[in-house]
Amino acid sequence: MNKTTRKTTTKKTTRPPASQPAAVPAAPAKVRVATMWLSGCSGCHMSFLDLDERLVDLAKLIDILFSPIVDTKVKDMPQVDVGIVEGCVNNTDQEHELKMLRDRCKILIALGDCACTGNMPALRNQFPLKDCLARAYEQAESNRISCIPNDPVVPKLYPKARPLQEVVKVDLHIPGCPPDADVIWYALTELLAGRTPQWNEKNLRYD
Amino acid sequence: MRSETMTATKKISLTINGKICAGEPGQTILEIARANDINIPTLCYLKGLTPWGGCRLCIVEIEGSPKVVPSCTTPAVDGSKIITDSPRLQGLRKATLELLFSERNHFCPMCQYNKGDCGLQHQGYLHGINNVRYQYLYPAMPVDLTAKYFGIDHNRCILCGRCVRTCDEIEGVHTLDVAYRGIRNRIVVDMLKKFSESETCTSCGACVANCPTGAFFDKAAAFRGPLASCQQVLTTCTECPLGCGLKVFIKENRIVNVWGDPDSPVNRGHLCVKGRYETWAEPRERITQPLLRGKDGKLKPATWDNAIVAIRKAAKAAKKSEKALLVAPRVTNETAQTITKFTGKVDRLGMYVTANEAALCHDPSFSADAMRKLEDADAIIIIGAQPSHDNGVVAARIRTTVRKREAKLLIFHARKSDLDQYATIGAHEVSLDHQFWEQVAAALEGAQRPAIVYGANAMTPIGVTVLERLIKIFEGHPGRQAPALIGLPVGTNSLALAAAGIEAIEDVGPWLDVKPLKFLHIVASDAPDGGDGMLEEKYVPGLLDEIPCVVVQAGYRSALTDKAAVVLPATIWCEKSGTITNLEGRRLFLRPVLPVSGEAREDAAILESVFA
Repeated sequence: MNKTTRKTTTKKTTRPPASQPAAVPAAPAKVRVATMWLSGCSGCHMSFLDLDERLVDLAKLIDILFSPIVDTKVKDMPQVDVGIVEGCVNNTDQEHELKMLRDRCKILIALGDCACTGNMPALRNQFPLKDCLARAYEQAESNRISCIPNDPVVPKLYPKARPLQEVVKVDLHIPGCPPDADVIWYALTELLAGRTPQWNEKNLRYD
Repeated sequence: MRSETMTATKKISLTINGKICAGEPGQTILEIARANDINIPTLCYLKGLTPWGGCRLCIVEIEGSPKVVPSCTTPAVDGSKIITDSPRLQGLRKATLELLFSERNHFCPMCQYNKGDCGLQHQGYLHGINNVRYQYLYPAMPVDLTAKYFGIDHNRCILCGRCVRTCDEIEGVHTLDVAYRGIRNRIVVDMLKKFSESETCTSCGACVANCPTGAFFDKAAAFRGPLASCQQVLTTCTECPLGCGLKVFIKENRIVNVWGDPDSPVNRGHLCVKGRYETWAEPRERITQPLLRGKDGKLKPATWDNAIVAIRKAAKAAKKSEKALLVAPRVTNETAQTITKFTGKVDRLGMYVTANEAALCHDPSFSADAMRKLEDADAIIIIGAQPSHDNGVVAARIRTTVRKREAKLLIFHARKSDLDQYATIGAHEVSLDHQFWEQVAAALEGAQRPAIVYGANAMTPIGVTVLERLIKIFEGHPGRQAPALIGLPVGTNSLALAAAGIEAIEDVGPWLDVKPLKFLHIVASDAPDGGDGMLEEKYVPGLLDEIPCVVVQAGYRSALTDKAAVVLPATIWCEKSGTITNLEGRRLFLRPVLPVSGEAREDAAILESVFA
């Protein structure tokens, strides 16, 4: 509940900086960023928005060109410097998108536990895919019509949800469910300063 | 303990990380390092348990040796040079942890365990693990929630074996073990049973307290926040006369968990099911305000003032010879002092005890250092007591002494218990046959440090005969140490109350019936059954009905409070302060853990307002 309320309020306040790149052509000095939301709850993106006033400072350094939380809808993913991905790879479409981002970015960051470990979506990995689909679409108590979606448009689920690094090469992992805004800030500012973030008991959280 | 005296003359020294550290021969590298404030990370090691060497986090380098060795199982060698931290060790430890993380479900966000208490998570943080380089395996593992107070989620298990060793070496029942191989390797209960089907599990919960991850978890404590964030209060268990030390974790005026106090000389951190779970994880109906029986015969809530006025009126109507005060054998020493003050105000004062316990209280003798003597004994004789039912921690100590130190065990008790399987002689029916006693004498042959544990049922004619015969056997061997006599009363504080001059009553019926009563005050205190055990006696319910005013002060609702004319709310174990004297004669402190619930008052304060 908390997250949804935060979502609506923060979205409003952050709209101007996020839509800025569309209005003003990006200065070449800025780092070009794309973010992506695969099988996750969007909590990591919300945590990113929790940077609050630091987003203003960040906007001076980076341009977010492609993201589920920006208003400008770009059809084709642009070439970027940094790709930030939340969530794990669950279906054919997500794998395609992730591979495309990997091709078009220099540094790929796995943001949050789902991207790093599979986390919640990977709980189904213990069970056969057939059983998971049956439980969700045929046996679920809330279902009126029991039918497993079979339209060719619907992406096919993989037998197992996989963390990003099992699909593509990942350059940096930021664990946390979601990672604290401070941790995201630390990792991004370190990267912008040209350093590799160092992990220890002070900034690591798995929950 | 014996090895210490043997080797006290020699010492060894070794260099750890450039620091010269002294230790005893036979100590492991880890023990010496920890004694010298050098930390080596561990997961499967737990002080007090046999080292296992399973997790491989405690690896160290020894100069001159190409191998790394686990420091928890490697005995220190005089003059060796040891390095506990190097890039190579760091790399190996990180890889070990990542392998642990990659196998089962070690995803912290949905762990039932209290976040922040997990040993695996802690080591992950310390080693800066932000991702796992290996492929996750996601094996399907079962979850067993059939135990009453705790559950095991095998998905969270790292197979460190702490629970197996705890179950074997501390509780001594060896319910848990490891089965299968490779990725199917897991902890099993009684050779592939469920907890509910287990015959050996005593539900002591020591496995839960010693599990470093969320594999074992207390049902009442799961998802209640980290214990690390809780306030800790040390108090004493009042469920049996042993008086085990408790460490109670509280948060926002609620008990989150109860652990044994590792520094308590009585239980050294171990607890039985009564102390660990029954006192707080069990729903019991509390009495939180005074109840007064109305004209329609039903108990109705009343104010303290009204209740006291009603009691005083009834007390005034009765002559001194028609008044009596009956106490549960679990009130504190301070309450006992208050009670003895009012001896002159009533005709009869007594505490109700179980059958045959009065004889134990007749000449109260405390068995100093009983727990240590039990541990040192090479022959333990149990007469008329059932420690595995009544005093779980004593039973655990007996089991470990018998199983690990090969002490002999002789049981003379009518009821069967799990201890029988370890007994050389388990006599449920005592025979006076000459041959039988020759067997007993043969079994005790060579016992140097015998201990006799006797309970209330040893005070029967048969029990006394057994005691006499045993003493004859021991006297037959001059020069042998006299047996340590350890009396196990049933009531928590009955010995101290008897010593304070309160008479022990085991037949409440005749005691009530001596002279007709008009006013009876019963201090049931926080007895879990509310003292309704005495109602099982044949004539007592009828006799209570004849008394016009029965006042019961109790913490919990019971059949006894339902019979009372006035019920006064008393504090329970976690709200009390004061002292109890355990069977070893130690004065142990009760500290208030939670604020008093409702309008409950301390036992002594209630007695003051009724009788003063």
